[in-house]
Amino acid sequence: MSDPASAGDQPVILAADDDEDILQLVAFRLGRSGYRVLQAHDGEQALALAMETTPDLAVLDVMMPKMDGLEVARRLRAAEATKNIPIIMLTARAQDTDVQGGFEAGANDYLRKPFSPKELRTRVQALLARR
Amino acid sequence: MSPLLAASVCLAVVAVSLLTTLAFRHFILAHREQGEAEAEARVRPLAILLIEEEPLPPVAPEDQRALATVVGRYSRKVGGETTELIGAYFRDGGGLAAELEGMKSRRAWRRAAAAYALGDMACPEAVPVLTAALEDRNAEVRAAAVRSLGRLGDPAVAQTLAESLVAQRVPRGMAGSALLQMGRDAVPELRRIAGHEDAGVREVAVTVLGLVGDSGDEDVAVKAIGDPSAEVRAAAAQALGRIGAMAADAALEAALEDPAHFVRAEAAEALGAIDAIDALPRLVEIARTDRFKPARAAARAIAAIDPETLQAEAAKPGAGAHLHEAADLLAL
Repeated sequence: MSDPASAGDQPVILAADDDEDILQLVAFRLGRSGYRVLQAHDGEQALALAMETTPDLAVLDVMMPKMDGLEVARRLRAAEATKNIPIIMLTARAQDTDVQGGFEAGANDYLRKPFSPKELRTRVQALLARR
Repeated sequence: MSPLLAASVCLAVVAVSLLTTLAFRHFILAHREQGEAEAEARVRPLAILLIEEEPLPPVAPEDQRALATVVGRYSRKVGGETTELIGAYFRDGGGLAAELEGMKSRRAWRRAAAAYALGDMACPEAVPVLTAALEDRNAEVRAAAVRSLGRLGDPAVAQTLAESLVAQRVPRGMAGSALLQMGRDAVPELRRIAGHEDAGVREVAVTVLGLVGDSGDEDVAVKAIGDPSAEVRAAAAQALGRIGAMAADAALEAALEDPAHFVRAEAAEALGAIDAIDALPRLVEIARTDRFKPARAAARAIAAIDPETLQAEAAKPGAGAHLHEAADLLAL
């Protein structure tokens, strides 16, 4: 888990994925785009980090150990402090019903894997601009 | 020393030697795996720099292989313009040429390893070689080739994959998975081969079309429901259950009268999936009187379309086991 202590004007993004390759790539891409990225390797860690730091946006993988991304999204939406955080779901599950499930859980947007890091950055920028 | 004792001592020595060898081998393999994992973690930032088009510092010779592995792994996880960068890395760095050369090896394991690696290099140049490898005499090479063709996603090979699947030259699941990986890009080719002369290929085409197509491909499935092959008709009914729109109800209701019981079963299930309320009377009749599979599928379809009708029909005398079972499942 990354150190959430540092502050500053950089928007804070929570990235959660149990795949280290994906997590590091997302962290690199968003870090290079001027965001401070907090990293979580499972759903429970993501939820704890979100509650602790209230990030400006969360990028959540759907399939994660301990707690899946859909449940994390639901709990973020249920908590007063985190209910307005924009959420992007990263999903390898390509069925429309899974995408629908993501939206029902509270996601604002989704990206299907394999995904383009540049597209992720664009969607992050678009969601943050709407706030 | 008696012969029996000598034999026992010999056996004990052999057993100890074998155990020692196995333990040593396990240690070496674990050590190697740990080394590879450490090297991959070390070069991951370099792989990210590469696929993000950032300047790459010199890579130590001992890390080159790990870098290729990680970049190849990223090719499965990222898309868009990044795929082209990964392709350029392997093309310009010699990795592609080395694996294409590996495909000419006399050793089957080397050809299989090369066929597998080519799927992660994002280089379309590998497609003809991999397509030819579907005819390789070794099953592992063919399986690696079909997996890699799916990874590379060139829809032009959809027919060849379907033919290989039907001819049982490649594992059915792997070929199906490769076709699915092509996704929507494969739709035009799947529509075309849905008219193939071989019924097996038509069945594969219609099945996959049902999974990756949409309501715009309904016409193909509606046509296939009148196919001479019962397997194709069953696949068409299944596809209509997934993608069916305007014309699906009528086609599926007609398929309820199919002479093949498994086609009737698929049609009943599909009618349930698309909420075909007009089909309820015929579904009730099938649930009461047909053979096991279509009757059970019809009862479950009624449950999906209109639970109240199911409960009313199940309460009537002589409703039969399938309506009762569906009503019980509904109550649960």
